Amino acid sequence: MMDDVMMIKIENLYRTFHHGGNEVPVLKDINLNIAKGECVVLKGVSGSGKTTLLSLIAGLDKPSSGKVLIEDDPISKLPDLFASELRARKIGMIFQHFNLFEHLTVQENVTIPLITSGLKMKEIQTKVDTALHLANISHKKEIQAGRLSGGEKQRTAIARALVADPNIILCDEPTANLDRDNSLLFIEILKELHTLGKTIVIATHDPLFDHLDFRNTIVPMVDGKIV
Amino acid sequence: MNANAFWHFLTLQLVKERNKHFSIILISMMIVFLLSSVLFISSSIRFSLEETLKVQPDFVVSRTQGGTAIPTPMEWSDELLEIYGVSHVTPRVYGRYFFEPKAKSFLLVGVDFMEEQSHKNLQVLITSTDIKAFFEGNQMLVGQGVKEYLNAHFYKDAYNFVTPKGKFQKVTMFKTLPSQTNLLANDMIVLPIDLARKILGYTDEEATDILFNVPNTDEWELMTDKLSALHYDLHVVNKKEVQKSYANLYNYKGGVFLILFLILLATFALILYQRYSMVYSSERRHIGLLRALGWSINAVLKFKFTETIVVVSVSYILGVLLAYLYVFVLGAPILREIFLGGQNLHNVVSFVPVLDFSVLSSIFLIYALPFIASVLIPVWKVSVTDPKEAML
Repeated sequence: MMDDVMMIKIENLYRTFHHGGNEVPVLKDINLNIAKGECVVLKGVSGSGKTTLLSLIAGLDKPSSGKVLIEDDPISKLPDLFASELRARKIGMIFQHFNLFEHLTVQENVTIPLITSGLKMKEIQTKVDTALHLANISHKKEIQAGRLSGGEKQRTAIARALVADPNIILCDEPTANLDRDNSLLFIEILKELHTLGKTIVIATHDPLFDHLDFRNTIVPMVDGKIV
Repeated sequence: MNANAFWHFLTLQLVKERNKHFSIILISMMIVFLLSSVLFISSSIRFSLEETLKVQPDFVVSRTQGGTAIPTPMEWSDELLEIYGVSHVTPRVYGRYFFEPKAKSFLLVGVDFMEEQSHKNLQVLITSTDIKAFFEGNQMLVGQGVKEYLNAHFYKDAYNFVTPKGKFQKVTMFKTLPSQTNLLANDMIVLPIDLARKILGYTDEEATDILFNVPNTDEWELMTDKLSALHYDLHVVNKKEVQKSYANLYNYKGGVFLILFLILLATFALILYQRYSMVYSSERRHIGLLRALGWSINAVLKFKFTETIVVVSVSYILGVLLAYLYVFVLGAPILREIFLGGQNLHNVVSFVPVLDFSVLSSIFLIYALPFIASVLIPVWKVSVTDPKEAML
């Protein structure tokens, strides 16, 4: 399954926040390599820095020092236009709070990442249908996102993360707002994505992820450091 | 970015968030409506006055004493005729006649059948009148407001004026002036000049003022000097000065409204700015989310700019159309009273439709630029922050 190509490389990464004149170090000297097709779980309690690390990998935040490389492209140092393009093409993101446009339907939410892709509407529609099918939410595609259950919202977020066919899927506390059944269903979908060769990084403190049969690595984090 | 996909998503957002957009369109439309109405009225009045002034004589001279106009001697007409370059010298008799019961007044204007200039002016007011018949007997042409007012006081066909000597002078109504002339002639009564003299107390050797033309406009400045040298108590006004004073009056009124409008617009822009920057957190989250999903700053700005342009254009078009109907079809109730001032007599003015491209584009610029800026500046500020921070 895995090969030796490094999908994500993190080198000497630091992230410090500034609050009222005080410096708060959130990530300290992170070094991590994640190979193509690998499934990595960032494990730690709240405040351990795993969400910040995920944001830096996605290019949603800028490091204080160090760098993040996505297939050798330094996403943290690229100008906005290139970083956005890289994010749109190579990274699918699943958020803890789903972050859907509540006034839009499931299908419309899944369409959003492709609007700037340059694809024609017909091609976009084909990709959207495929993603909805993979996330097992096709039957709800005309329903407004605000009317969905937590599990359905999560599956919509998965479809949206998959629609551009990215190589990397980043999940931030993906089961924090789901019940046990929906959490297990989510893990099943992740397993399917893993078999498709996607590189998956999950930031979580949910014990359900401790015993995944497809997971390659657990990266424990404490106080902004990998231990 | 594929244009179809972009427009598809834009339409989707506009339709799905119609409540938000509808309220913004409604408020902006009212602002455009107010501004357009004011500018339409002021343009229309200016146009009507300019059209009227076009047929007015080039110069008006009158006699003054202690800064007040007194009757002008008719013999001045002959002296004016002797000046090289002067033509169409016409004495004019006019004045206010107060209708005693409620202190309303009419503007009495005497016209001379023998004078070509008088005919020309009269023809502007009445197009299908037998002028010869009008000058036979004691008759008058009355403005719509005069007709209405006299009728309300049971003077259906004639009215008995009281002369300065305390005698009654009965004058029959010959015809009513057309409603298109209401702006200028609502309280006007046109009479043969001799009859006007009798009612206003002028002798045959006196007039209110004397009009004349100087076809060569290069001579106008010199003419003023020549006339001033003619008599020490001669007061002269040329057509350009009259035009300027009218323009100043309505520019002033339009200017006051413009200031009020700018204050209103600034308030609206401030509300929009707050809505998009600090207060409206869901808008920030949406922008952050779009960025997180791979939209570049440029793409977000392009989207928000186009969305704003659509809202601005729709409210502009609707506001202007509404203003057009309000001013030119309904006659601008309420605003009309403010613009035309306290009317002496009830007046129903119909504004001549004037669509000036420069006015329309000014409205668009005055309204659209602050609007777009107040939306795009906060959007830009949110877009350039890290998406993670914007989504918080």
